[in-house]
Amino acid sequence: MDIKTKLKQVLIEELNLEDITIEEIGDDEALFGEGLGLDSLDAVELVVVVQKHFGVEIKDMEEGRPALQSINSLAAFIEEKQK
Amino acid sequence: MTGLQINGLGLVGGFGCGAEDLQVALEKREAPVSRVNLRDHLFPLFQADTAALGNYLNKRALRRIDHFSRLALLGAFQALEDVGPLELNRERLGVIIGSGFGALKTTFGFLDSIIADGDACASPTAFSNSVHNAAAAHISMQLKLTGPSLTVSQFDQSLVSGLLSARQWLAEGRVEAVLLGVVDEYCQVLGYCWERYFGEQISSKMRPLDFDHFSAVPGEGAAFFLLQAEADCAAKYGIIDSVVMGQLWGSRPTLIPGQPLVLGCEGHPLNGGIYRQQLPENASVACYTPLYGAAPVTQGFDLAVAALTLKRGEMFPSADSGGDYYSGSVVTEARKVNRLTCLRYGFGGEYAVIQLKGNG
Repeated sequence: MDIKTKLKQVLIEELNLEDITIEEIGDDEALFGEGLGLDSLDAVELVVVVQKHFGVEIKDMEEGRPALQSINSLAAFIEEKQK
Repeated sequence: MTGLQINGLGLVGGFGCGAEDLQVALEKREAPVSRVNLRDHLFPLFQADTAALGNYLNKRALRRIDHFSRLALLGAFQALEDVGPLELNRERLGVIIGSGFGALKTTFGFLDSIIADGDACASPTAFSNSVHNAAAAHISMQLKLTGPSLTVSQFDQSLVSGLLSARQWLAEGRVEAVLLGVVDEYCQVLGYCWERYFGEQISSKMRPLDFDHFSAVPGEGAAFFLLQAEADCAAKYGIIDSVVMGQLWGSRPTLIPGQPLVLGCEGHPLNGGIYRQQLPENASVACYTPLYGAAPVTQGFDLAVAALTLKRGEMFPSADSGGDYYSGSVVTEARKVNRLTCLRYGFGGEYAVIQLKGNG
């Protein structure tokens, strides 16, 4: 499973997004606000989810803000940190 | 005291969902016992299903709400809906939640996650749901209730403790109405403890009036009440006349002679002996715990049964009719009644007495 698909699966499971499927999450879709509709509480949960499932720590909002824009940006951040 | 009118009911438990399902169980004198997985075997449970919450909230709104809070929310929505066209000022509507154990599944799941993944990976959402007042918060947010909010955890006296606070709020004029609910849930840790404590005695048939033998089956669910101060207009379900909590070490509950008793015994010999010793010889009793099981807050269901009884003006036959093991007088047939008392003794001699009357 590639990292983007795994990210989508983890998002659905850990954030209990029962009303959408992996296929319905676009790679470039905004995670917060208009796009997927996540909120600030999800952002905190996402930081934990990324560390738990990918072993990558998002240290602060300066680092997190650009990474948490979309599946593409988060996958790129994780891949960069895992190098 | 000023009486408390019961003007709305919200119920979910092993018997089903809503007052109608409880009434059906009362008439049939039985409710289904589920079998849930516990390690390598099946375990009996009066299991509550919250699927009906989908009638009130969509999946997205429910995604951060755990089973415990879903039970509470379902009870709360139903109780408000049951009030009907009565106008309620939601800024002056208080919320009181009582629970003996709190959000067990989430709390133990959260602790397990710390053991498994370390504290850095502990879920913030699981933590926020593990605190006792999470259910009250979800109710206030989803139902847009901005009055005072209180969560009580006094094991099996949580209901009466909450009722005393509700009465005080109404007497002070802090609120116009109180949405009071009690909730408890099952989790695997509870099942494990149950087996460790009670081992091979576990059965799936409750005989609560057999005070000497263990027959308790665990239950989960929520019982909610919309309460208002006694007024000139009739109560939908009757009136709570008096609420007393105490301890047998220093006092005895005052029971009104001839008034039927709804007993909160659950098939535990630990407090069965107290019922045997304390019940007046000629007391007329009924027990309905075989319809919803054993849990710290099942007196909430006893109160709901009392409310339904007063609405129809007739006792429901006891779910345990006694037999060889109980020599006292048991209500085995429907009979007219306009006053009754819910009585529960705790394991340590605590008692909770709720006296109710019908309209007029």
